[in-house]
Amino acid sequence: MPFSAPPPASGEPYVLSASLDNARHLSSLLRAVHFQDHATCFATASGLRVTVEDAKCIQANAFIQAEIFQEFAVQEESVMFRINLSVLLDCLTIFGTSSLPGTSTALRMCYRGYGYPLMLFLEEGGVVTVCKINTQEPEELLDFDFCSTKVVNKIILQSEGLREAFAELDMTSEVLQITMSPDKPYFRLSTFGNAGSAHLDYPRDSDLMEAFHCNQTQTNRYKISLLKPSTKALALSCKVSIRTDAQGFLSLQYMIRNEDGQICFVEYYCCPDENITEAEL
Amino acid sequence: MFFQHYCWTAVSDPCHKEKELSLPCKLIVKAVLPVFRCANVLGRNVEKCSISTSPSDHHITFQLLCKHGVVKTYNLTFQECDPLQAVFAKHMCPNILKVHSRLLADVMIHFPTSQEEITLSVTPVKVCFKSYTEEDTDFSRTMVTEIHLSPEEFDYFQVGVDSEVTFCLKELRGLLAFSEATGVPVSIHFDRCGKPIAFSIEDVLLEASLILATLCEAQKEADSQERCCPQQWGSSETLPDKPSGDEPNSTDISKNPQRDGNAPTSPVAKQEVKSIPRVTGRDVTGRAGTPTAEAAGEATEAPYQKFHSLFFGAVSHKEKDATGHTFQSLATASDTEEDLGPLQSSPVL
Repeated sequence: MPFSAPPPASGEPYVLSASLDNARHLSSLLRAVHFQDHATCFATASGLRVTVEDAKCIQANAFIQAEIFQEFAVQEESVMFRINLSVLLDCLTIFGTSSLPGTSTALRMCYRGYGYPLMLFLEEGGVVTVCKINTQEPEELLDFDFCSTKVVNKIILQSEGLREAFAELDMTSEVLQITMSPDKPYFRLSTFGNAGSAHLDYPRDSDLMEAFHCNQTQTNRYKISLLKPSTKALALSCKVSIRTDAQGFLSLQYMIRNEDGQICFVEYYCCPDENITEAEL
Repeated sequence: MFFQHYCWTAVSDPCHKEKELSLPCKLIVKAVLPVFRCANVLGRNVEKCSISTSPSDHHITFQLLCKHGVVKTYNLTFQECDPLQAVFAKHMCPNILKVHSRLLADVMIHFPTSQEEITLSVTPVKVCFKSYTEEDTDFSRTMVTEIHLSPEEFDYFQVGVDSEVTFCLKELRGLLAFSEATGVPVSIHFDRCGKPIAFSIEDVLLEASLILATLCEAQKEADSQERCCPQQWGSSETLPDKPSGDEPNSTDISKNPQRDGNAPTSPVAKQEVKSIPRVTGRDVTGRAGTPTAEAAGEATEAPYQKFHSLFFGAVSHKEKDATGHTFQSLATASDTEEDLGPLQSSPVL
């Protein structure tokens, strides 16, 4: 049951206030991008975006639209702060992570603005927890400049086809090589590990393939350690769109359906491995 | 018959005409396992598996054709090797047991997964599996498990010689899992301790053998007289191995660098009384290294076994020694028999 906002001390409204009947709708998405301790939260009237980056090469974004929340109000044009994602997740799941049917943790989130901590009110079964998490100066985020006009190759696959593949990736390989082509092998994931190479081919006419728009043969390599965390997002999702642009930048967009059937998105952007300019097939 | 299609093309190598045109190679198991991970998923998803080799660039290719048109290709490097062959004649084993793997698996489940070695002891009327513990194990902290089975439980039961063999359990578990998957019964061929034990499964489609070395039980049996069957250790059995004409004891003593070649005086005898059972066991173990390193009993071991068994025979007075009189000086040290009980790990050979 959502709380009504506690009366503000100095009459200032909260720049961000949100209520959510089921905190899992938020925590599961945040877990899908949790590969670093810190995240940047960016809230606008349309919703909340949580961004995690690593090595200036990879960026993951979790989008939770305003419609997912029971209440979502942003007073300024946008609100941005950096926060410890591990702590935030621990708080959101303070009543435990097991999902018993019928029980859910209710959440109210309030943020007064720059310099103030993020306040979380969590309630389950009559028990209330109040958390105050310090916020930090937001850092500059990478802009992959990935817009649909620059996309060279695009594939939409059903996640079930990729889940096993990603979970079983040969981690002794330094790179994950992705080949997308209008000709054979159409879509290929390759690793080059200690024991040898492994290739996973998806034909364009496979029933897992929802959309296949490849104009050019492209082979790009990405550091496997950077992409491995995306497996969490893949596990939650029902569909994934894989796009590359002319420079080999990779965009993975995961469509995730939550317990109530609402749709959210998580996306991963990754730079190609600079050491390799021309990868051999 | 196992394969839908099997094609072997011998590529003749002009430089090695005399060599067999086969491809002995080895792959790292860790590399192959991920290919066939999740057997139940494989069953649902994989329609076909094709295995091909290209000897020129040392690759074996496993290609799995899966549902939805997905193709998984694994190119694994292999190394050429000379295959090892265990020198072991199964058909010459006096003891043969045949049992369904389910029974063996049910037996093994009672042993903790950390149990490294177990002992299989058979007589014509009883089969017993028990955990093997080292001499210096603190029994107050160890759980020892013993499982007794009657011959009726076995599909085939033949015990020609009572024996107690100790082998590595961990290595057997893999074969048991495989056997359960194929549903083929397991045959166990073995002899006395020190000789290898073979676990094998045979079917129309496949054949697998696991040959394990066994520990020599000499030391254990000296300590636990009640368990030992003197017949096994009878000099009547071991003596004939010895080349005739030599006095076993003096020869054996001389073979042992630490021992005095002559009939020892009482203090020396005492020392030997204490150390021998320990030494012999340790000695053999030391030479064997891990059980898997040891092959069928070598001639060089025989003197130590014999020496020990003869000595034991003297101490236990359970049998007559054919070469009795030279042992009497040792036998007189039997008054220190009680010292045998709490044996320390003496530094030996």
